[in-house]
Amino acid sequence: MGRDTNGEMDAKIKKKKKVKKKEMLEGMKKEMEIDDHELTIEELEMKYSTSTTKGMSSTLAAQVLERDGANELKPPKGTPEYVKFARQLAGGLQCLMWVAAVICFIAFGIQFAQEDLTSYDNLYLAITLIAVVVVTGCFGYYQEFKSTNIIASFKNLVPQKATVFRDGQKSEINANQLVVGDLVEIKGGDRVPADVRIITAQGCKVDNSSLTGESEPQSKGPECTHENPLETRNIAFFSTTCLEGIATGIIINTGDRTIIGRIASLASGVGNEKTPIAIEIEHFVDIIAGLAIFFGATFFVVAMVIGYQFLKAMIFFMAIVVAYVPEGLLATVTVCLSLTAKRLAKKNCVVKNLEAVETLGSTSVICSDKTGTLTQNRMTVSHLWFDNHIHSADTTEDQSGNFDQSSETWRALGRIAGLCNRAVFKPGQEEIPVPKREVIGDASETALLKFTELTIGNVIDYRGRFKKICEVPFNSTNKFQLSIHELEDPLDLRYLLVMKGAPERILERCSTIMIKGQELPLDEQWKEAFQTAYMDLGSLGERVLGFCHIFMNEKEYPRGYNFDTDQMNFPTSGLCFAGLISMIDPPRATVPDAVMKCRTAGIRVIMVTGDHPITAKAIAANVGIISEGSETVEDIATRLRIPVEQVNRGDARACVINGGQLKDMTSDELDDALRAHPEMVFARTSPQQKLIIVESCQRLGSIVAVTGDGVNDSPALKKADIGIAMGIAGSDAAKNAADMILLDDNFASIVTGVEQGRLIFDNLKKSIAYTLTKNIPELTPYLIYITVSVPLPLGCITILFIELATDIFPSVSLAYEKAESDIMHLKPRNPKRDRLVNEALAVYSYFQIGAIQSFAGFTDYFTAMAQEGWLPLLCVGLRSQWENPHNQEVQDSYGQEWTYSQRLYQEYTCYTVFFVSIEICQISDVLIRKTRRLSVFQQGFFRNKVLVTAIVFQLLLGNFLCYCPGMPNIFNFMPIRVQWWFVPVPFGILIFVYDEIRKLGVRRHPGSWWDKELYY
Amino acid sequence: MSSKEDKPVEQSQSSWKDFIYNPRNGEFIGRTARSWALILLFYLIFYGFLAGLFSLTMWVMLQTLDDYTPKYRDRISNPGLVIRPKAPEIIFNRSAPSEYKEYTDHLEAFLSKYNSEHQKNNIDCTPGAYFIQDNQPLPKQVCKFERSLLGQCSGITDQTFGYSEGRPCIIVKMNRIIGLKPKPTPFINCTAKKDDKLSVNYFPENATFDSMYFPYYGKLAHDGYVQPLVAVKLLLNSSDFNKKLSVECKIEGSNLLNNDDRDKFLGRVAFQVTVTE
Repeated sequence: MGRDTNGEMDAKIKKKKKVKKKEMLEGMKKEMEIDDHELTIEELEMKYSTSTTKGMSSTLAAQVLERDGANELKPPKGTPEYVKFARQLAGGLQCLMWVAAVICFIAFGIQFAQEDLTSYDNLYLAITLIAVVVVTGCFGYYQEFKSTNIIASFKNLVPQKATVFRDGQKSEINANQLVVGDLVEIKGGDRVPADVRIITAQGCKVDNSSLTGESEPQSKGPECTHENPLETRNIAFFSTTCLEGIATGIIINTGDRTIIGRIASLASGVGNEKTPIAIEIEHFVDIIAGLAIFFGATFFVVAMVIGYQFLKAMIFFMAIVVAYVPEGLLATVTVCLSLTAKRLAKKNCVVKNLEAVETLGSTSVICSDKTGTLTQNRMTVSHLWFDNHIHSADTTEDQSGNFDQSSETWRALGRIAGLCNRAVFKPGQEEIPVPKREVIGDASETALLKFTELTIGNVIDYRGRFKKICEVPFNSTNKFQLSIHELEDPLDLRYLLVMKGAPERILERCSTIMIKGQELPLDEQWKEAFQTAYMDLGSLGERVLGFCHIFMNEKEYPRGYNFDTDQMNFPTSGLCFAGLISMIDPPRATVPDAVMKCRTAGIRVIMVTGDHPITAKAIAANVGIISEGSETVEDIATRLRIPVEQVNRGDARACVINGGQLKDMTSDELDDALRAHPEMVFARTSPQQKLIIVESCQRLGSIVAVTGDGVNDSPALKKADIGIAMGIAGSDAAKNAADMILLDDNFASIVTGVEQGRLIFDNLKKSIAYTLTKNIPELTPYLIYITVSVPLPLGCITILFIELATDIFPSVSLAYEKAESDIMHLKPRNPKRDRLVNEALAVYSYFQIGAIQSFAGFTDYFTAMAQEGWLPLLCVGLRSQWENPHNQEVQDSYGQEWTYSQRLYQEYTCYTVFFVSIEICQISDVLIRKTRRLSVFQQGFFRNKVLVTAIVFQLLLGNFLCYCPGMPNIFNFMPIRVQWWFVPVPFGILIFVYDEIRKLGVRRHPGSWWDKELYY
Repeated sequence: MSSKEDKPVEQSQSSWKDFIYNPRNGEFIGRTARSWALILLFYLIFYGFLAGLFSLTMWVMLQTLDDYTPKYRDRISNPGLVIRPKAPEIIFNRSAPSEYKEYTDHLEAFLSKYNSEHQKNNIDCTPGAYFIQDNQPLPKQVCKFERSLLGQCSGITDQTFGYSEGRPCIIVKMNRIIGLKPKPTPFINCTAKKDDKLSVNYFPENATFDSMYFPYYGKLAHDGYVQPLVAVKLLLNSSDFNKKLSVECKIEGSNLLNNDDRDKFLGRVAFQVTVTE
């Protein structure tokens, strides 16, 4: 019955989620209601009571600021602190403990009402349970608080400035003071301070990648080119970067009302999914609760049959249920997770939510961004073609290696690259290595600048020696850029014209080609060679530029010649072709290896990028997302020279889907594509599509990790099972939506996370198995006490000491255990089959190892009783006499008479003896739990130093509890005789030997009955 | 969507039934009959072995025990005191025999063990000296404790043990502990708690547990052992009637503890007496 209602509830919750999500998607897809781009300047001035020449008046601006608030993204409404804390108290295990505490209170209440109060155990137990929940809650809260702080420290504290015109005055103010209607100026290198309608622009290019994910710069101008505000050229959006040029515009939206602000606020609508570990723990709590109720009910019936009163039997029932609650487990799990979180933080992964530590280990699909995560996020010169030969440049992070520079052609090419370039380093960076310096200019010019700086030397100085006379900047119609320079040698009065641009356009303008410093006529043969090289470089996904130059005769173009860039009164054809330079945003050096590791670990890496399919595919092939020899449908078609439709889709391992295709696909088609092709690249995708891809993967049963940095990624980050934001490039919105943050933005760090996540899953399994085992020896004394009526062998306070004191450290120490096998060579766990706590684990721990421990405890118990004068047979049925506080003359087996108090101390002796037995057996238990399959000898007995320390600590603490004066009357521990420590030793050895036999069987006979029943 | 949402409910219902008995693969609670048989056999062997090991260790442990004396006696180094009639509070009307009959019957039953016919085999020992028989053959001999030693409280002369006159007898008994040798001879001293004045008669008159009754050699070796007793006759006056009287008897004059903080019955015993007219 319980299951049915649960199912219904789940369904309802799912339905609710679905509805919410739909609304959100609709919201995202809805046209942004902006019409400012279609208004004329005059209408605009009217609308915002501003002026396109003088700007707003300061007073009006102040009023608007008052009305609209500051121009900044409101941090997403963070969960209130008390809710965060409450969440720490409401996990699966926590709920179990709350229920147990309530049961204890009820039992105490019944006893109190009946005036049957022999002890306050139930009250103590209830208080302890609550204390454990609260203390671990505080611990977890503190952990989360700490990592939130780390993240907060990454926020950019330097306020952004913006140039604004007010009252006709140009001034620089903090960007958050801007208001709607302000006239602002944006120049290369600035971040667009709000959504701006462009009024005037000169060569203004904007990088929209933070909004759309597309890294291609887009030029902006005053004319309205599209009715969709996102597509039109005359609106620049908040948080995008102006790469070059200059523009002025009127602010039309500020703060949360900007496009990016809306996306950011939509992200908060995506519900957080439950982490896999939370699901596992709930599953485990179900098992525990089921077993507890089963045992409780059984013994309730037994107690009733034996003839106890109903209420007494009820109290027994409650006590059994509560005894089944593993009090120490919560602390163990919390500590294990936070240990791993700490380990991860050292390796640059900061985890916001403790449970996310494990999620990465279960991950089966990683949807990774390209730019910045897989690549270095900077265009770098990768190849050069000159002298009919392709030279590779070094694209590693430090660009140290180099190529043959002896050729004369290279000198010419390098000169063109250095001179025909408007990019400059930002000042004051002399100390910083060249590749890391900041540059004003677009990506390819930056790449060329850095490249020439590294190969030629100080470029700025070099440019100074070749005085620039005039230049024609790049534009989309002629697709080239040229500049004219004087020569370095003051005696040489020729002018030098250098030109770069789209290779085919450059070639058109050339009549000669430079080979080994010689100008040769550009015949068909050379043109073919050019074509081959161009195609080769283009197929690598690289951006190729052609370079040419000409020396202008001093007779035709004497000094002082008036070069007119509009008339082009200088040669623009018949030039000398120098070579090609191609650029790419190269992959990070560590990425191919990391992708390979993911692959061996059975994790699919899917690239999702806003970039061009060809570039995306090239990078994917470069880093191994598309492995060597894998072909797409298109590749097969070209190879076999057949139409694409005839290709058997099953043959293509790889697949590149671009945003346009994705738009036309139904979700089933997308699922099919994801199923059919193991190697996927999504190119030119929009943020919404990223979300769709994540959902599709999740539908296929994968646990999905998503990396992202932009605000636009935040919905996908939230939707993913684990969202990973970039610490350096990541926006605050992305960091807020993510569960984990990579401080170094490096994909390779994810692999470390996966490894640690898998390890902690394995080790948590071991810890839990260890912790669960002692539940049985803690429970059986009570069962025997009820049914056979012996004096109670193990008290409640003693149990709490085992659970919360002596056994915590050993169970945590298992978190330090090394992996048994190469966990990075295994497939990710199947969340439906590979449970944290499976049947085999529970059965093996409870009914086998736990049973042995119980026998050990009872052997020691009966020994202690018999040696003090109470033979085993006498103990049976002794309970009512023994516990009667008015009976001061209970006879032992030898005819001696004992007062109540003397019997009580004897009972405490039994508690202690039972405690010691469990401890001895648990030492054996922690040793066997080091491995699940390997022999402990293979794993190394003392390799885990923490575990050895934990055992020593456990023994010391046990001794302290036993022999510290005053213990008997405070915590019911008695100084027991030394030999009673050794009674359980044979059972401890039995546990060890038995488990070695079990592991041997499991190793020798995989798939056998033994393996199926006994491998957990 | 909607069809998907309805499914789980149906599924979980059928999976419940399937869990109990799945007709498709003949599984009963998740296992086939063969699988159940195998696993039960496994546990039979497993627990059989464990039970065997347990029995073996218990047997070995029991072999190390002595039949006559327990291995350790340190938990009971000092004896407790108890009273007869066995009740924490003694309340009766001296003129209503039905109210005190319970007590007198109890005393009579308790003292019947001390009748001469039960002590025929017991010997007369030398008062004032321990009756050491460490090297004597079994069974050890028992010193006679005649009921008549209790005088007015023996129940021989006064069958109502003084309850009819409102001066009840209380018999104080010391717990048996093997090997206990009190040094020197302990005696019982009963006082009223608070400031009440209380006069009592002791039987035997010196109120001692004579050394000759020690040491005790245990149930098996010392069959028929009779514990020495001290009877206390509370000499109540009419002024003491109709009110609750708290009395505490302590063992004194020896090395036996009588003031343990936690054990209120170690070498002492407290009780309350209320006699109405």
